[in-house]
Amino acid sequence: MSDHDIHSAHAHGPITRAGDIPEHDKHDEHDHNSHDHGHGGIGKYLLVFLALCGLTTMSFLTYSSVWPWRDQPHVGWAFMMAVSCTKALLVVLFFMHVFWEANWKYVLTIPAAMMAIFLALMLVPDVGMRTRMVSQERALRMARTSDVLLMEQAAEAKVLAEPAH
Amino acid sequence: MNASATSLPHGHDGHSHGQDDGGHHGHLTLQYQPGLPLSRGKLIMWLFLSTEIMFFAALLGSYVVLRFGAPVWPKPHHVHLSEPIGAFNTFVLICSSVTIVLALESARANKAGLAKMWMLLTLLLGTLFLGVKGYEYQAKFSHGIYPQAPRSRIYEKPDLYYGSAVRERLGEPAIIDKLKELDDTPADKLTPEQVSARGRLQQVRKMVASPEQQAFDLAVVADQVMPLPTEGPGGSHGGGGEGGGHGGHVSGLNDIFPWLRLPAVIPGGNMWASTYFLLTGFHAIHVMVGLIVFTILLGYKLGPKDAGKIENAGLYWHFVDLVWIFLFPLLYLF
Repeated sequence: MSDHDIHSAHAHGPITRAGDIPEHDKHDEHDHNSHDHGHGGIGKYLLVFLALCGLTTMSFLTYSSVWPWRDQPHVGWAFMMAVSCTKALLVVLFFMHVFWEANWKYVLTIPAAMMAIFLALMLVPDVGMRTRMVSQERALRMARTSDVLLMEQAAEAKVLAEPAH
Repeated sequence: MNASATSLPHGHDGHSHGQDDGGHHGHLTLQYQPGLPLSRGKLIMWLFLSTEIMFFAALLGSYVVLRFGAPVWPKPHHVHLSEPIGAFNTFVLICSSVTIVLALESARANKAGLAKMWMLLTLLLGTLFLGVKGYEYQAKFSHGIYPQAPRSRIYEKPDLYYGSAVRERLGEPAIIDKLKELDDTPADKLTPEQVSARGRLQQVRKMVASPEQQAFDLAVVADQVMPLPTEGPGGSHGGGGEGGGHGGHVSGLNDIFPWLRLPAVIPGGNMWASTYFLLTGFHAIHVMVGLIVFTILLGYKLGPKDAGKIENAGLYWHFVDLVWIFLFPLLYLF
């Protein structure tokens, strides 16, 4: 399909262009403007803005003491990712005008998004699982949860704080 | 996609438009259009953005994979990240996204002055974002958190390597002089906090030099040099040591004597620093490019003729905002 398009564009392009480039472009631009004004409008942008602010506050809630699942980080992560995806969708659809665009939007965004997902997935075996099987030497030098615990114990023990006081 | 594969130059032959030319025909007078139904600049911007999607997806994907594959990852307050500051920066970027959209709308409505005002505001908000980012970077640098040695003073665990690094630093001639000076200073010339810290520092020096040191001793040393801040009761804790001296928490020796700059322990801190600076650094570069574009655009009239330029700059800027929308929770709240 695209081959055919390019071909036809090449075949007819110069003939059209010889006529009225400025008029064509102007008309196109104007058409586009009225098209967007029909859907967009400042009110809608402000509404999206308020939604984005509200969503940011919502993801910030997971950090505050109001959040009821503080002991289960996975709940917060899933929630925040959902909020982020919603925010991203709002920005793409309305601020980037994708909501009002023609079907070319799918041609550009879907393959890019799929490749992005594949890219991350392909990293999982070599990078994500890199610490499942490691040499003993590396295991000895690698930071572990036990190191954090050790430091927390050291902080609680207050070995040095006492004699100084 | 193309309506006019067989059309004449001024194509009014209504038969040729395909069924997939969605959303574009309310009237029957068809226009010949070579290629996709959008301007060349916009098409190229979108193609560029699709490569950018993959670029940041690679970075974010590696971050997520590295983070969840790591046996231990520092908590945000371990690495002196302030969630409120991050949320503020998110807010700044969202605001700038709105102002650039309003600049575009004003330009299309032939209100060039208003468009310029919104554009200037976008530029200022972007600069504010970078300023806050710089302030945050400074908080990392002042705690010895850099992406790489020798500037980075972060050790992964309080082991023998850490102990010898502390010993080495304490043995540097400049530090020996400073320590002697500190020991000779009469107590009434120091604050009570400094006197207490001096006593602890003397014991740390003994502990590090002792031949019978044990794993726990080194953990004590690491805790004295730069404690891993414990999470406060919900959102009220100071969010790390930016301001120093937040209530109830003991400051580390590095905070009390900034010249000391002893190696510190943050388990998982090195990988964290690498990913943090890479992600936020590339994002900051994108912000800078956006600011340059806005500065150039401010030289134009910003009437309806320049709307295309503003639209493309805006598309780029929204993308930068989009990346931050994912970066903020991933870096600050996970």
